Amino acid sequence: MQEYLKYSGIMLLLIIVQKTLIWLLAITSYEVTPDIVMIGLVYIGIKKGKITGSVSGFLSGLILDIFSFSFIGLMALSKASAGFISGFFYEETKMERYLNTYIFTIIVIFCSLINNIIYFTIYFQGTNLVFGDILFRYIVPTTVYTAIFSIIPIIFARRRRFAR
Amino acid sequence: MKTLLAYFGNLKEYIVFSALVLISIILIFQNDNIQVRFIRVIAVNVIGVIQTGFSVIPNVFELEKENKTLRETNINLSKELSFLKESKLENLRLNQMLEFKLRTNYRVVTGRIIGKTLIQTRNNITLNIGENDSVKVGMPVITEKGLVGKIVATSGNYSIAQILLNKDLKVSAKDQRSRVDGIISWDGQGKVLMKNVSKSSDVLVGDVIITSEYSNVFPAGIPIGYATTAGTLDNLFKNIEVECFVNFETIEEVFVLKYLSDDERRDLEKKYKEKTK
Repeated sequence: MQEYLKYSGIMLLLIIVQKTLIWLLAITSYEVTPDIVMIGLVYIGIKKGKITGSVSGFLSGLILDIFSFSFIGLMALSKASAGFISGFFYEETKMERYLNTYIFTIIVIFCSLINNIIYFTIYFQGTNLVFGDILFRYIVPTTVYTAIFSIIPIIFARRRRFAR
Repeated sequence: MKTLLAYFGNLKEYIVFSALVLISIILIFQNDNIQVRFIRVIAVNVIGVIQTGFSVIPNVFELEKENKTLRETNINLSKELSFLKESKLENLRLNQMLEFKLRTNYRVVTGRIIGKTLIQTRNNITLNIGENDSVKVGMPVITEKGLVGKIVATSGNYSIAQILLNKDLKVSAKDQRSRVDGIISWDGQGKVLMKNVSKSSDVLVGDVIITSEYSNVFPAGIPIGYATTAGTLDNLFKNIEVECFVNFETIEEVFVLKYLSDDERRDLEKKYKEKTK
């Protein structure tokens, strides 16, 4: 239970940062920002499995939707899907390896890609953008940017391991 | 049950995920922005395509219902068709009769046959016209094709007529071509014969037989039928088989000619007969 509360706290913190400070890191003319909530979500998915991953994704997505004041449910759907997929990498024996190596970045790329495809494809429905535009302007840059940020927890984890 | 629970236990991750997706979709569709409207259009199209695909699979219950409705419609249409066919035939018959009515010099009353016997030796028809329609005993009954018979009994609204297929009815007749005389009568076994035709008379197959002016009941010149044999010998006379123009099996409407024999002539002939006895 304590563990779940810890994860909830981390996710809440990440959501607040995502909604308040992350715009400072926006790049390109399309204001692409990293998705740090996704990094936390993948971490939980690998640690706790599909159910926890999808529920965490759904709740965090819903909170993000509420904060964005538009299109309630879209981020919940994309994050729940990404969290569920991250749960596929839940394995007791390989968990440390997945979380402390660059495999984590690969998993983040994979899950972030799923999340962004769902989110941006639906988000830009009804506009003049074709899927190619959406892919190269938003999906790929956001995924790459998020993947770069996913290296930070790996570095921290390694340092902690060396310190021990 | 345990197996079932175990099976669903294995699927719980997917069930939870499906539920979350469902909730998300419901939430998405609660929005009313341009994206959702666009998605709704796509969803309607997709559902339409899927429904079109499924529509090729017949719905057994719907088919049964449809079959029942079609059967009922079929019966109703058959009834209607039968009625229309009947009306068409009646129309044709009445048209022919109307033409004849306009052609004939006699005043006529149109009647419908409401009773008919054809399998006895004395066959009659019952008509739906009677004394109230000025029908009297002795009046000839005809159709546009030819002679049918004569009225033998009447009531206010009905009348009975002897037809040519009746042993009691004798009609004075003649060959239209050769003017040879004879008496038309029914043999009671299926043949209408022209009797009393002298052995040497000129009657050929196909000659038209008509009523003669010697008849005290029928006006002269009404077609009766045509000769089908040149004649079989019966002592000094020969019997000629005649095929009637009127088909008594299918006849439905007739005319009664308002024609009665001349009383003076009838009385004279009667007196002479009594004198010679």
